[in-house]
Amino acid sequence: MAIDKVVSASITDSAVTDAKLSFNSNQFRNIIINGDMSFAQRGTSQASITSSNYYTIDRIRTSINNGGTWTQSQSTEVPTGQGFATSLKMDCTTADTSLSSGDFLHVQIPIEAQDLQYLKYGTSSAETLTLSFWVKSNKTGTYCICLQKSDNTRYDFVAEYSISSADTWEKKTITIAPDSNIQAAGGAIDNNNGEGFKLKFTLLSSGRTGTNNTWNSSTPADCTSNQVNLADSTSNEWYVTGVQLETGTSASDFEFLPVDVNEKRCFRYFQTYTVMGTMGARNSTDVEGSFEFHTPMRTAPSASQKTAKVFRDMFAGTFTQSSAAIGIVDSSDKGLFVGMGNLSGLTQGRIMCATSGTSEFSSEL
Amino acid sequence: MINTVEKYYNSLNEFASYKVTYSDGRIWSVPLDEANTDYQEIQQWISEGNTVIDNGE
Repeated sequence: MAIDKVVSASITDSAVTDAKLSFNSNQFRNIIINGDMSFAQRGTSQASITSSNYYTIDRIRTSINNGGTWTQSQSTEVPTGQGFATSLKMDCTTADTSLSSGDFLHVQIPIEAQDLQYLKYGTSSAETLTLSFWVKSNKTGTYCICLQKSDNTRYDFVAEYSISSADTWEKKTITIAPDSNIQAAGGAIDNNNGEGFKLKFTLLSSGRTGTNNTWNSSTPADCTSNQVNLADSTSNEWYVTGVQLETGTSASDFEFLPVDVNEKRCFRYFQTYTVMGTMGARNSTDVEGSFEFHTPMRTAPSASQKTAKVFRDMFAGTFTQSSAAIGIVDSSDKGLFVGMGNLSGLTQGRIMCATSGTSEFSSEL
Repeated sequence: MINTVEKYYNSLNEFASYKVTYSDGRIWSVPLDEANTDYQEIQQWISEGNTVIDNGE
């Protein structure tokens, strides 16, 4: 087509829509970070889970109160032809066939509040959201998701979805419309670096029921009375990938991000290091030094030494911690000044270069 | 779940961070930052009547 055939009269404001384009022009539309379960800094598998924590895939928190014992892993089981390479797997290794009130198991994804301001919650212009995801389990039945909004007045949106065919990937879509409570002042999400939403995939829950497709004001509510108990057999497993939360009333195709972009987004909440720049021997047993993070973190992070640090003194060889240890001396969201003890034989004032041993830094929600 | 919390002092004898031991055995150094969720958890733990170990520098 000749270029002069495209005139303003043929491209009116309403004529060009996302549906007519070959792609969705709304980039970074997915509120969920790492929804394709592709990045796992902590490791790819964790067995014997009975307490709440971040274990494997970045941005995924396991929250559990009783409800069996689980192995969580990054799996290569994925829906065919959708472009995914990885999924999250929850595998029951010790069953709990009789839940008590207050028992629950969630796969959670917390979302930072200042990333949610464009939803205009707390106003009459609050946006409708659509959640979509791929899920698979051997155990068919009714499951629930919960979108928890805690700032100002807490409301828990609960919605059911059905796994109707065992061991088969199914795509689920749930629309989350704001109600009058969300549109009122109590529905507002604070503009800060705290938690704005917590998306929960409920795998079992007892005594925490709410109304389906409703922003429940009686909280905590994370399921309906139809929720299955995925812990009722050690044969049970549950997979999820392609988690996307976006504005609008329908689900668009999953938004795949370049690997480097996805990693940087995850680094805001968790980072690991072996090399940490140049440090110095404070005395014969301690090394101190400062370094900058790959990317600024959500807030000043906590630090943990996962494996003993090895330092090299270019004049005197290597020195290894007798047991892993790290202490924060000074901190910000952009870098840390740390001390690392449990060493011996250092020469005060010498430059010390960390060569191995994993240090972890967490500013998770 | 928190087992113990101890004050960590820097080389200038200033209270710099908390050393927290969790029930899974992991030890974390937690900055004095109110937006840090581990710091928030420590404050909650203290408010429940638990005591922070303070051995000085």
